[in-house]
Amino acid sequence: MSYGVTQEMIDTFGDIVFKLSLNKQIRRGDPVRNLDFESIAASRSETGLTDEEIAKKIGLLPEQVSVVRVFTERKHHKIDQHRRLYHLGGGKRWRKDNYKNPLERLKFREDAMLLREAIKFKPELVTKYIEKGFWVDETLNSHLKHYAVNSPESLAIIHPDGELTYKELDEQVEQLTNGLLGLGLTKGDVVSVQLPNTIEFILCYFAITAFGGIMQTIHMSYRDTDIEFLLSHSRSRAIICLPKFKDFPTQDVMLRLKNKLNTLEYVISTGTEATDGVLILQNLKFPGTPQIENPPVGSDPFLLLYTSGTTSNPKGVPLTYQNMIGNARLSVPEFNMCSEDRNISAAPFTHLYGLYNFHVALCAGATNILLPVFTPDGLAETIERTKSTTIFLGPPHAASMLDLNLIEKYNFSSIRFSMFSGSACPKHILTAYREKILIQNRNTRIGQLWGMTETAGATFCRDSGPIDLPLTSAGPAAPGNEVRVVSRDDGTVLSSNIEGELQVRGSSVFPGYFDNPEANKASFTKDGWFKTGDLAMLDQDKNLILTGRIKDIISRGGVKFNPADIEELIMSHPSINQAAIVPMPDKVLGERACCFVTVTQSQNITLKEICVFLDSKRISKNKWPERLKIIKEMPLTPTKKIIKNKLLEKL
Amino acid sequence: MKREKFDPHFVKEECEKYVKKKGGLAFGIANLESLEQIAPQGHNPTAMLPKVKTVISIGVGGGTQGSWSADAKTLAYIGDTETMAYRIAYGLAFFIESRFGYRAIFVPPDMDPEKGARVPMQSLKLHAEVAGIGARSMAGDILLHPEFGMMYYASVFTELEMPPDQPMAENPCPHPSCVTLYKRTGQTPCQKFCPVECLSGSIDENDQIEEMKYDSHACAEMSQQYEAIPSVLLDTLDAKNPIERGMALHGPENQVLWYKLSIGAGELLSLCYECMRVCPITQTALMANPVARGAGMRQKIVEAEAAARTEHNIEHESDKIK
Repeated sequence: MSYGVTQEMIDTFGDIVFKLSLNKQIRRGDPVRNLDFESIAASRSETGLTDEEIAKKIGLLPEQVSVVRVFTERKHHKIDQHRRLYHLGGGKRWRKDNYKNPLERLKFREDAMLLREAIKFKPELVTKYIEKGFWVDETLNSHLKHYAVNSPESLAIIHPDGELTYKELDEQVEQLTNGLLGLGLTKGDVVSVQLPNTIEFILCYFAITAFGGIMQTIHMSYRDTDIEFLLSHSRSRAIICLPKFKDFPTQDVMLRLKNKLNTLEYVISTGTEATDGVLILQNLKFPGTPQIENPPVGSDPFLLLYTSGTTSNPKGVPLTYQNMIGNARLSVPEFNMCSEDRNISAAPFTHLYGLYNFHVALCAGATNILLPVFTPDGLAETIERTKSTTIFLGPPHAASMLDLNLIEKYNFSSIRFSMFSGSACPKHILTAYREKILIQNRNTRIGQLWGMTETAGATFCRDSGPIDLPLTSAGPAAPGNEVRVVSRDDGTVLSSNIEGELQVRGSSVFPGYFDNPEANKASFTKDGWFKTGDLAMLDQDKNLILTGRIKDIISRGGVKFNPADIEELIMSHPSINQAAIVPMPDKVLGERACCFVTVTQSQNITLKEICVFLDSKRISKNKWPERLKIIKEMPLTPTKKIIKNKLLEKL
Repeated sequence: MKREKFDPHFVKEECEKYVKKKGGLAFGIANLESLEQIAPQGHNPTAMLPKVKTVISIGVGGGTQGSWSADAKTLAYIGDTETMAYRIAYGLAFFIESRFGYRAIFVPPDMDPEKGARVPMQSLKLHAEVAGIGARSMAGDILLHPEFGMMYYASVFTELEMPPDQPMAENPCPHPSCVTLYKRTGQTPCQKFCPVECLSGSIDENDQIEEMKYDSHACAEMSQQYEAIPSVLLDTLDAKNPIERGMALHGPENQVLWYKLSIGAGELLSLCYECMRVCPITQTALMANPVARGAGMRQKIVEAEAAARTEHNIEHESDKIK
């Protein structure tokens, strides 16, 4: 039925009908009680008319008035008004300023929802993780608050310019949180950070995540193109950076990107001076307890890390607290980490490995020691000065200290546990490192950890495990995780000591790449195993032995071999620092091996010398490199993994 | 219907007694002529019961002191006692017909579907105000009584004649403390604490209500759930995605609406009773049966009377022996 009503009629008469109806009522004096019939009659239209009375007054049919009124009321309708009821009574009085619609605080920006939609776990696995206690309701800041309350005077951070107790750290985090909230940043917003391992990084990390923000890290070595990709893909709202880094004008580049990218709203810089359009981090600190409308919970994403991109463009890896903080909490007893420990990370916090060991120490209530920029001397000197007890490093960090005989030169006796990760760990480096520290501390132990941005700490050697296991293995799966090795041909699960593709499933494994459905499809099996792309074996005790990367395999005339063993052998040559073998296209054989090396100081080497060396090690001829390229510097990821893609470009 | 003549004052007293006995707080008779003059056409008493002679208004109390201190959702469930008022009025209508033989009608407290938004068939507030058991306040014309505070009202129309009461001589609103606050801040407490700011107005120099403004739409949006139902359905249609749509219909707040609707529609709710069907306590609880309970009580009375008689007889016999 049309009722003869048009939209124009609603627009024309809507306001007067709304006003004349019982929707708005005005009464002057007290005419009914006083039986003042004249006043009552005169004020009828102000106290509200029926549709029939309105119809007579404005010249419409009563039915038309009804339609006009209903549509106009709809226009005035504000949703969820009834939610105000739940804020009333029970000792609470209505205060306009105190009220916030509960649904308002649950609103996420569209970009934030995109990221949340990337969080997809398999329900049956989630049930298992929760039932077994792998996942609980914990956040980065809940651990900080715990120690700020329970051991406020314990040292949380030692950095080059001073120290902070847990209480002091918490206070500074609250101040910065106030500043970030003041910018209008809200839960689910991505905030990018390009900072070294400084106290500013730590404060930003806690402050961003305190209100439910998501930190996205940018490695210090990244420049314009890489940064633009990350800021754009992550839809970051703010970037926190140095004013400049070495010869890189960070602030200026970020400002240019802010003008270019619609999503980037704020450039925030450390230091005391900033160009126009850049906010100073120090000025964003305001005292007081932050009013956080929608505090983060365990299932929220809080990190958006990007893969190092050794084989392709970086991929966005969202991680939830339950993934990452759960992984760290479960690792604490395995490393016997306690509040007395002083932990140092040689790895940058922009990378998963750096954050992982920071989290482990935080969960234990231990002290984290900050090393802003890695230099062999700097690391050794800091260990001696701070009496570090645990260290998380990569083989290149150890190799450089060994090269310079720094372990003998400095006091490493406080080191009780050293964890290696970041790339395949050559046995000769681990052995040499351990032997040198053992001289100073007879009880020191080493460990090996294997993980990826996608898996966090997936496997690792335990502090109480077999002493020599870490020389060859990255240990068993972390609590909450499972590992298996499958055939690359048909996907069947292989028995122990047979090489195949490594697959991981578990509570620390990420939910899927952000905004990259193709990669997600290619990276997971139907039953939720993540295909790592690494070649590995499991020994009879399910300890992981990494053997290489699938993409590194060289197919010479159809005969395939993994160059990882050969690379390790070549690196043990006294003249060679680092070595990487990549496949070189060949018309006859399809592929041949090309070896890239960096040489030790004032040394040189030829292809023939390498072949003679490999022959002396009884390596079959088909695995010898057939071309040698000596380069000054290996292209490395921030965690010192060789970027083979860049080597291929040099062929 | 045979119509015996009764003394109107006696009738009024009898009706008031009935109402008070059943739990009513206030009882009053509204002047019919005044109502006929004030109520809009179609909403006057004779439009509903043409030969009406008397309009009875009764009031029952609102929440207990405890419920006024409870949170809003608790108060919403236990604070409104209008059904009690309706029950008394319904009983009173039957009482008048059976006791005095005159027609009476329980005035439906419902909206008039033909007349527009929030237009009642009869204004129960108007009846109560004219009957002198409430006066319009600054709080959206909610009626207040100096002794009983806020009440819920129900009305009965009857062809039996009773003498009318007068409207209250004085309006208890605004209370002196509210006047003080108004003079200091420009707002009465009800205006200040309204969550949707639907109340405004002013007090004159004689500390009386000068003007009362009430945004009924804003008030109803928050507190009248029946008006929320079409909004819920429209929100459902407007929802951008399945989660919004699902929450519009199944969100906890909105589910309360369907719950209430289901109760109103006499739908089956929650219990299959299989567990209670096999429960020995439930099945052997004889006193749960009102007939059995009545019989049991009667039996007890019979036994008590018999015991009393026996005792009396024994005493009587013993007297004889003495």
